[in-house]
Amino acid sequence: MTLKKLWVIAYRDLGRNRRRSGLTLTSVALGLALLIFMSGMVNGVWQSALQDSIRLQTGHVQLRAASYEEQKLSLLRGDLLDNTDDLLARANQMSEVEFATPVLWAGGVLSTIHESTNLKVSGIDPTSPLHDPIRKGLVAGEFLTPDSRGEILMSRSLAKGMGIGVGNKVSLAVGNPEGQPDEGIFTIRGLFDTGFPSYDDNTVFMSLSQAQAFTRAGDRSSAIVIMLHDQDDAEEVAAALQSPGVTALTWKDLNQIFLEAMETGIVFYYIMYGIVILIVAVIIANTLLMAVFERTREMGILAALGMKRRQIMVLFLFEAAILALVGIVIGIVLGSLGVAYLANVGIDIGTAAAQSVEGIVFGTTMTGKFVPGEVISLSLWMLGIILLVSLYPAWYAARLEPVKALHTL
Amino acid sequence: MEVIQLENVTKIYSIGEVETRALDGVSLSIEEGEFAALVGPSGSGKTTMLQLMGCLDIPNSGTVRINGQDVTRFNANQRADLRREVIGFIFQFFALIPVLSGYENVELPLLLTGVPSKERRERVMELLDAVGLADRANHRPDQMSGGEQQRVAIARALAPRPRLVLADEPTANLDTANGKQAMEMMQRLNQMTGTAFIFATHDPRVVSFARRVVRLRDGRIAEDSAHA
Repeated sequence: MTLKKLWVIAYRDLGRNRRRSGLTLTSVALGLALLIFMSGMVNGVWQSALQDSIRLQTGHVQLRAASYEEQKLSLLRGDLLDNTDDLLARANQMSEVEFATPVLWAGGVLSTIHESTNLKVSGIDPTSPLHDPIRKGLVAGEFLTPDSRGEILMSRSLAKGMGIGVGNKVSLAVGNPEGQPDEGIFTIRGLFDTGFPSYDDNTVFMSLSQAQAFTRAGDRSSAIVIMLHDQDDAEEVAAALQSPGVTALTWKDLNQIFLEAMETGIVFYYIMYGIVILIVAVIIANTLLMAVFERTREMGILAALGMKRRQIMVLFLFEAAILALVGIVIGIVLGSLGVAYLANVGIDIGTAAAQSVEGIVFGTTMTGKFVPGEVISLSLWMLGIILLVSLYPAWYAARLEPVKALHTL
Repeated sequence: MEVIQLENVTKIYSIGEVETRALDGVSLSIEEGEFAALVGPSGSGKTTMLQLMGCLDIPNSGTVRINGQDVTRFNANQRADLRREVIGFIFQFFALIPVLSGYENVELPLLLTGVPSKERRERVMELLDAVGLADRANHRPDQMSGGEQQRVAIARALAPRPRLVLADEPTANLDTANGKQAMEMMQRLNQMTGTAFIFATHDPRVVSFARRVVRLRDGRIAEDSAHA
């Protein structure tokens, strides 16, 4: 018996109950579309959060003094880099490096007459491309210059919450290397909104030279943040820049908690994917079983004509395969359209939702990312599980005794 | 030459704790080219006998030989092989595959036996022509009358050139005219091809066509006109 004829019979058999076949096919398509959409959303959200963290906070590589601990935001001389220019020169010589820039961090308290808030004070080189997101996010006032004195940038939402704006003066206090508070009055030079509330609201920016003077750090910096042309070069660059007293950390080291959360989340998502696939597969198996019960006599006829059991089994597996393949193609199209919408338009989750994700740089727009490998993988899993679950009804049809199937010869 | 030999065959059906002897120590031989009817009331065992002859079932005891081979020792696949090569079936409910056209239904046994496409086509058209349905080849069963469907079934049964055709109540769902037409057709094909035809029937019209009549009662042969 040619396989081609079995395909023809299988295809035509599906048309005998178009409604049932259509509903089953729809369940495959919608199930896979949902999985592809979920996968695109998960990949998009996690990947964009990771890239945003790299871009705004960690860079691809960071050089620090060996004793520096970021949580403490220490300004002790021993915890800061004192050979910043040398390190910058070495980093910028490497072809893998796009740019390198020094930063100085300190813990501070911002106060107005009415209220105060704890935040991070970040001294930056305003000319560095690293801070382009803040420059582009400027919504009022002016950006910093390298010589800015007595001026800060703060987030629009923080300023609004504190009832202040461009031109207003605020008090800023930081702990100096002797452990004593140093306080100063600063003018708000500009307000920014990068679209990442959890990042914006916890930091104020001033020029590096201003920060060094204010914290009595001299010409020292907390870290040198390095961006690469290709983040896969991070290990190599870090190894090359490592030196006595200086630690070089890659973006993986600096985002370790986030990456671990990603891996844990991925396991959860795979379980969900498996559940959806199983539900769809059971629907198909049920459809096939109903077809077997309806066509019992026909199976008897085919057996009487001499069709072998494995051929009867293949006939039903072909029916399952046709439903699965057509459903998968439709599902890929629908799912991809959904991911394309997420990637190009996104879903606005609002400021409150973005702020609620502590420790992760989360934007207010959820985006998607199309990962072809995952789409193929999900589709193959769907097909494989459907065929596996269809083995039972196919086996059942093949095992029917011709006499019983026919009832009468 | 004998096509089928039943030797002391017994078939028992168990339904719960109740056992029914459908056939009880029956012996029967069918020669090449026979045109015979198995006759008897309901429960006499004629359908069971047909099922054993057609390798659709195996007896509890005794031997069934087809082409000299003891088929009671065959497994399911071997019995399927034998059915495909040696036996044709005609059912009372026509039993055509509804999604296939008349041509494709007749072609189906030839696909199962691996006949090349050119020969397949010639044989199918020859048979459809012999049963007067060459112009209906592309119609599906739901586009045919009962008589036409039965003629397609007859053509299908003869497609693999079997040595034996087994027909269970072939005229039961046909009116008088179509029933007579079907029987005349099978008689003609029997004479043309030398294929043996065995009918299980209540229908006196069918019996009147048979050259041999075997009467069954309570699972035993009550009368066999071959030995009359």
